[in-house]
Amino acid sequence: MIEVAGLTKAYGEFVAVNDLSFAVQSGQVMGLVGPNGAGKTTTLRCLSGIIPPSRGTIRICGFDLRTDSVKAKRELAFLNDEPRLFDYLTVEQHLAFVARIYGVQDFAAKAVPLLEELEIADKRNSLPGELSRGMKQKLAIACGLLHSPKVIYMDEPLTGLDPLGIRRMKDSILKRARDGAAIIISSHLLHLVQEICSHILILKQGRKVIDGTIAEIATRFSGRAGQLNLEELFFKATEEQGAAPEPPPVIGVPPG
Amino acid sequence: MISALFYLQYHSIRNRLVQRFKRLRQPKYLFGAIVGGIYFYFYFFRYIFGVHGARHGVKLGANLGNAALYESLGAVVLFVVVLLAWIIPHQRGALAFTETEVAFLFPAPVSRRGLIHYKLLRSQTAILFTTLFLVLVTNRFGGHSWIRAAGWWLLLCTLNLHFIGSSFARTMLLERGISNWQRRLVTFLVLLGLGAWVVIWAGRTMPGRFPIDQLTNLADLEPLRQYLQQILTSGPMPYLLLPFRWVVRPYLAHDALTFLKALGPALLLMALHYWWVIRADVAFEEASVDASKRLAERVAALRAGNFRGRKTTFKRKRPPFELRPGGWPAIGLLWKNLISAGQAFTLRVWVVLAAMGFAIAAILRGTAAGSGFIPVVAMIALMLMVWLLLLGPQFLRQDFRQDLAQADLLKSYPLPGWQIALGELLAPATIMTGIELLLLGIGVALSAELPGNLRLNLGMRLNIGLGVACMLPMLNMLTLQIPNAAVLLLPAWFQAGKDSPQGIEATGQRLIFLLGSFIVFFLALIPATVGFAAVFVGVNMVLSQPIAFLAASLVAAAVLAIEVGLGVMLLGWLFERFDVSDSQA
Repeated sequence: MIEVAGLTKAYGEFVAVNDLSFAVQSGQVMGLVGPNGAGKTTTLRCLSGIIPPSRGTIRICGFDLRTDSVKAKRELAFLNDEPRLFDYLTVEQHLAFVARIYGVQDFAAKAVPLLEELEIADKRNSLPGELSRGMKQKLAIACGLLHSPKVIYMDEPLTGLDPLGIRRMKDSILKRARDGAAIIISSHLLHLVQEICSHILILKQGRKVIDGTIAEIATRFSGRAGQLNLEELFFKATEEQGAAPEPPPVIGVPPG
Repeated sequence: MISALFYLQYHSIRNRLVQRFKRLRQPKYLFGAIVGGIYFYFYFFRYIFGVHGARHGVKLGANLGNAALYESLGAVVLFVVVLLAWIIPHQRGALAFTETEVAFLFPAPVSRRGLIHYKLLRSQTAILFTTLFLVLVTNRFGGHSWIRAAGWWLLLCTLNLHFIGSSFARTMLLERGISNWQRRLVTFLVLLGLGAWVVIWAGRTMPGRFPIDQLTNLADLEPLRQYLQQILTSGPMPYLLLPFRWVVRPYLAHDALTFLKALGPALLLMALHYWWVIRADVAFEEASVDASKRLAERVAALRAGNFRGRKTTFKRKRPPFELRPGGWPAIGLLWKNLISAGQAFTLRVWVVLAAMGFAIAAILRGTAAGSGFIPVVAMIALMLMVWLLLLGPQFLRQDFRQDLAQADLLKSYPLPGWQIALGELLAPATIMTGIELLLLGIGVALSAELPGNLRLNLGMRLNIGLGVACMLPMLNMLTLQIPNAAVLLLPAWFQAGKDSPQGIEATGQRLIFLLGSFIVFFLALIPATVGFAAVFVGVNMVLSQPIAFLAASLVAAAVLAIEVGLGVMLLGWLFERFDVSDSQA
């Protein structure tokens, strides 16, 4: 579903993503992790056709994103960490607009359950300015999922969601993966990545450090599958200073 | 405290200037600064330096009769400004600090009086810059620059102190249970009483001196001037306006001696205001925190290109038509941008525009002697149509210029670039065409008899009107393509985003853009003009002029349509190659 070969993105002399190659198959959820400035967001923006790569090829469902961009983009959705909404369109108008852009004929039949699933059905006539941060995020998600994309990119998808929203979002991601979507999630929340991702790709300074299933990565770093958690793997892979924090001092009850 | 403030101010200004000089290494700022510098020199500075050929304006205070009138008129303006400060505001008194100042100073061991002093000194930067600007603008009218500068400074400082003092007074009144409406009512009653006094005096001392016909004849303003002079310089008005006259008098002084004589009362008034502000024991901190948030929103809005500098609060607008899920995606963009445009085109805007049009027509009727009202309205409508065609794209920006902030969203849509480009252009083009057709209709309907005994029969007017109407949509698409192409070609030059340049270089950049837009537009008109001329000459040999005009217009519209089509393809190509990261870098 997603095939990336030799992806490179340079800004002048600075190379943000360097010779990145990987593939994500239908039903797989890949976690894209790395320290700040590793090139995760740049990678996702290249993969969604927002910014052109300097070199390399990206194929979405068999369509080359450079030469057949319209067909490729029809199959994908990019859910940003910062919801990008039009200030003057209501929730319902956002969905109507997206339906026209993507040609979603059964828009009404899809929009209602989607809004209900995301618990913003009662806000259908509200403008983004009247929504909380979490609701805006949900609306952006609804817009992204309306056309039933086969490829989904998510940049920090849980930002701004409440605990129930987080739970539902996780379920929604897994459900869509089970339905056959290929999903890439970029996040610093390693426990989330470990919980829902079948594969991991660790980036550092624009280069791929390692990719594979968590078990494969654990085996490569420690020789024993399943013995390390993702946080330890991450620090080992990126050689970051990740010593466990000191326990907080115990506050005793003063005598008397 | 004061030394810390000076440290902050000095380093802030110095660093800002250094930063602006450093960025002149980039061509876009350098060219902008050069062009802006030339503009400012020819428009403002040469009047200060008295270069040969510069206009020497009238010294405002040279004639004693005029001096008294100007002083009184200035005092009236100041009175109105001060009055509004007592009537309009409804919030509690607040000193507008920035959010950073609130974060650093409010928890710091600084007394309330120290904060007021900080604010007063801080406001000097803005006052000095405003003074400089106003001197540059008003110096064109003659007089000594230093007197103008000192006069503006005194006036602005006193006004600043008055605004702070009145806001504190409002807060005190609110704390004592006197509501905003009660305060406004009392202010209004006082104003009514004073106004009645002036009217009664004028009625008794100047019976029969209100010839309405003469006073409203804009072709001869002398009766109006004499009437105003009488009202403002005798009777109760000079006494009522005395403090305001003190404030404006230094500015109007025509030499050093009169300035020094006027300085004493103005300084006394300023000192009294200072004492009033400093002695006020009002808790302004909470309101200041709110004000700092509003200030931050206003700054953010201005930097984002919202010239009104106000955080836009959007309202739900009825969509212009129902958008069905199937169909041409570009119509979706038109639909979206028309909803956005609906935020700007409120009933209030239309009422203001209609009032302005009516006022202009009335003035022209007064000044264009011999012309009737109807032909003048026709001429204004047609002039507005041409004006909208040329300058409309500067105001109607519901296209790439508005949506560039959402470029990553647009880029992710499964649409070819030309469709996005077309969709983005359609909304402003539709609005412009609609308004222009309305103006054209008014022009055609009312231009049967034009000034200079020029008569046009209905058939002629209809043919010309129809021909122009055919060309207008394409002309609008063409004028809109130029700024949109500029945005996509040179996103770093585009005046938007948090780092948008300000000052001379920004003015220069805008001038370059405007000049460039006009040149490109007129070049793009050449093929259509050639086609129009050829057909008009050819058809005119066999048929009548109106028919020839209509036929030529249709050909010109077809040529323009081809150009527009090519332009849309080019815009789409540019958008597909537009690197979002470059514009955000």
